[in-house]
Amino acid sequence: MPDALPIGRVVATELKPATPHQFHFWTARESPIGIGAIVRVDVPGRVVFGIVTDGFAYSDLDAPIHDVIGADGDPNLGGRAPTERAEIRLYQAAVLRQVPEQPMQPVPLGAVFLAGDADVAEALRMDAFLGGEQPTGVPVGVYAAGGRDAPIFLDADFLLGPEAAHLNITGVSGLATKTSAAQFLLASIFQTFPAHRGRVAAVCFNVKGPDLCFLDQPSEVPEEDRGLYARLGLVAEPFGNVRYYAPYKSDGVNLNTLRSHEALAANTVPLVWGLREVLDYAEVLLNRDDVDAKAGAFIDFLKERVVGKPFSDVTLSDAPLEVRSFADLEDFFRRIFEFLEVQSRGAEVWRSHHVATIRKVRNRLGNISVRAKGLVTDDGAASDLPWGRFEDRSLHVVDVAGLDPTVQDLVFARIVSQLREHLEKRQLGVEQVVVFVDELNKYAPADGPDTYVRRMLLDIAERGRYLGLVLFSAQQFRSQVLRRVVGNAGTAFFGRMDMDELATPGYGTLSPSTRAKLAALPKGELMVRHPHFTQPLFVRFPRPAALTGRQGVERFPPAAEVSFPAAVARQLRGLDPAVTTPAIELLIDGRREEDVRRALHATRRTRPDNVLAYFTAQLGKKVEREVVDRRGVAPLKRNGGDPYA
Amino acid sequence: MASTTWTRLRRAVAARGFTPASWIPAASEGRAEEATIRPARLVEQGEVGGIAVGLAEPWPDPVAFLDGMQRYEVMAYAGASPVVVAEVAGAVLERHDRQLHAALAARRRLVIARPAVLADLGDAIEDHQAIPLPEDGPPHPVHDFLLARREVDAARGRLEVELGHSFRARSDAWLIVDGTLTESPQWAADGRMLGVCKSHATLPFADTDLEQYLRLPVGHRSPVFQPAGHDVAPVWSWALRLWPWEGRDLLHGLVRIEAAPRDETLAQVDQLSRWLIAERSPVSTPDPRWDRLLYGIRAVEQYLRASGER
Repeated sequence: MPDALPIGRVVATELKPATPHQFHFWTARESPIGIGAIVRVDVPGRVVFGIVTDGFAYSDLDAPIHDVIGADGDPNLGGRAPTERAEIRLYQAAVLRQVPEQPMQPVPLGAVFLAGDADVAEALRMDAFLGGEQPTGVPVGVYAAGGRDAPIFLDADFLLGPEAAHLNITGVSGLATKTSAAQFLLASIFQTFPAHRGRVAAVCFNVKGPDLCFLDQPSEVPEEDRGLYARLGLVAEPFGNVRYYAPYKSDGVNLNTLRSHEALAANTVPLVWGLREVLDYAEVLLNRDDVDAKAGAFIDFLKERVVGKPFSDVTLSDAPLEVRSFADLEDFFRRIFEFLEVQSRGAEVWRSHHVATIRKVRNRLGNISVRAKGLVTDDGAASDLPWGRFEDRSLHVVDVAGLDPTVQDLVFARIVSQLREHLEKRQLGVEQVVVFVDELNKYAPADGPDTYVRRMLLDIAERGRYLGLVLFSAQQFRSQVLRRVVGNAGTAFFGRMDMDELATPGYGTLSPSTRAKLAALPKGELMVRHPHFTQPLFVRFPRPAALTGRQGVERFPPAAEVSFPAAVARQLRGLDPAVTTPAIELLIDGRREEDVRRALHATRRTRPDNVLAYFTAQLGKKVEREVVDRRGVAPLKRNGGDPYA
Repeated sequence: MASTTWTRLRRAVAARGFTPASWIPAASEGRAEEATIRPARLVEQGEVGGIAVGLAEPWPDPVAFLDGMQRYEVMAYAGASPVVVAEVAGAVLERHDRQLHAALAARRRLVIARPAVLADLGDAIEDHQAIPLPEDGPPHPVHDFLLARREVDAARGRLEVELGHSFRARSDAWLIVDGTLTESPQWAADGRMLGVCKSHATLPFADTDLEQYLRLPVGHRSPVFQPAGHDVAPVWSWALRLWPWEGRDLLHGLVRIEAAPRDETLAQVDQLSRWLIAERSPVSTPDPRWDRLLYGIRAVEQYLRASGER
């Protein structure tokens, strides 16, 4: 309910008339009104809700020179005039809603009240989705003005689809805006997403440092923030069902993530792909100069006919070939070249593919396994996200922070494609998936090459909502992101902004005061745009209840890089804490590292009851080293007189 | 601009068969004064040419300002006799902590016409105070209008006096009035009231004394004198130069102050002058009378203008 007493009155002049979308009102000088405050204009038969977008103060001073004259030119005397000049506080407000909506009329010259909880809900049209049998409200923060506050909700149908979808967050780095806002909103979605709208999961890509590496670890939530959680009807707790995925480092046993503390190993799993997984997305790794039409055709041939299925060609082998790994592929290429050079006596064409094309594809694909070492396995067995088994309210964090940018692209492209494919077939396990991508400036720049990832992000932005594939994206400079990607985001958050960014045309619709407020927005405050809100709204959100990256690294320092046996032991201890390094050293002594890795990956995939026994079985019988005599070819001629022989 | 009340009244009057009129004299037109010299009696010894009052000092709280306003127009004619409608208003703004607040305000609506005309108007003017014009001759539109204007002046004066009495009855604050204190014997005798006269149509000196009087330097005052001709409500007075006149006009920044004819006035005259000089800031621009118009008085005018019916 509004206050009994008005805080201002609408004024309209010929120069500043009230319109159906904007009006002006004055207040007392001590009024608590500020930029972003929601007000209510009440006249018989009509109620108008508005949000303050600008403020003006002026006195009856005709020209600055008169103040100078009044003070005898002495600034010290200026403030000592016996009477303070009459001063007016005039505010400009944009109309949020008129009741009744029709006929649309200029705002009447009535009393202005500060909006209360119910007013805020009505002004922002939240009454449409908070009431009824199937409410779809998702708390996003608390609106505060004039000493009062009100919880603000987003409509899940417009945040996660199908009506509208996607969220874009803009803000300068280092002010706990983008990552914190995304974390808080995900937590809010997980706690409040209505069951009648289906199941929801999220996949987050950790692209820098330890930002998202500790979302399952509780943090200290200050009392003030606890109050905000309570006001929003949320519980301040970290994510409960989180799984981390990180590729190996180049050694194949240490995970390439800052979340490598042993205490966190239980839900941190390797992300390892084989040839099949990589080849489907070779386009991501190979640029257009690499893949011309001929090379593309040969890669298609490999994908369709060779990889992952028996391939029979008597010119290469009597028995069908099985190409499942990069090692198998290398053997396959070797057989082709051997056939061309030896059996065909220097022929240049194999199955209509020129040898130069084959060599080029071999080089490029071989290079992938080097660049993506740690992600790509040679043994052909993948360790991947649980496709088809996504659980409701589960969070999957893929740590790509330590990867080569091109390999990051590969990870991103394949995971998003898999999400899309599974959602299309309704086989993912959930109906909605939120994909969170930071640094959109980098992945979908407004200018720059039209990369696979950029096209994919555009595709999600434009068509994802029909599938339940929702993009939560963030960047520092919205103006530098592909317009169609951010433009398709139904909801947008704006944290503290850089003045240069605010000077770009995209922010031209904001009033100068709103832009000034954005430029100095404190931590934990956001400006929100949402389809139900006809004007942007400032809200305050509590800090996430999970550790930040920096806190997490301090509490769970990354494990030091250790020797190969110790790393293997540490990996196995994630499955069985009884495994010791000396035992592993004894077991793998004299074994080839690739064999050990293969056994380790198999053990991790299977997660057997008796870890050590299974691992030992996977290692297989130890083959003792045998020193083989060098069997060289005898020289054709021994000529002791030849000093160069 | 005609108010909604006057618009309604105009329709009602026209409906009764009166001839509509649209003669709107300047609303800010002040009361007419005849330019003359009326030699005053010096109360204080000293050079008419100027007594330095010292540096400006802020007036201690509280202090109040009183002013009034009037507007009128010929609304219709009954034959040749005009029907004048008028509004008079007055207010006191009191200052605390450098902020002015409305302490008292009053507003009256008048209809002035010959008695027969007022009778014909009947209940159409029931919201207004009816003031009859004397019927000492045949109706004359200009003569009757001038008489009506005099009635408006008088009504405004009465309203201001009432407000001043009310305020002083309930407050010990100094009350500064725009214009003369001689409107009321009670005002003239009040030791906590000052009149600030911007008009110099009536001058208290002649010849050399007048030249000295008009050439007072800034921050100087004349000796205290008693203006002639106010036997019912005598006051003591002095001139004070608020702003330098050199290069502008002899009357630039020159005000005449009126106070109660008491010994305390003589004792306080420099102190009062210093307080008044402090009141020249803030400057009352863009009012063309800014050099003589105290900001507090101007604030009352603005208050009355802004709070009047549109």
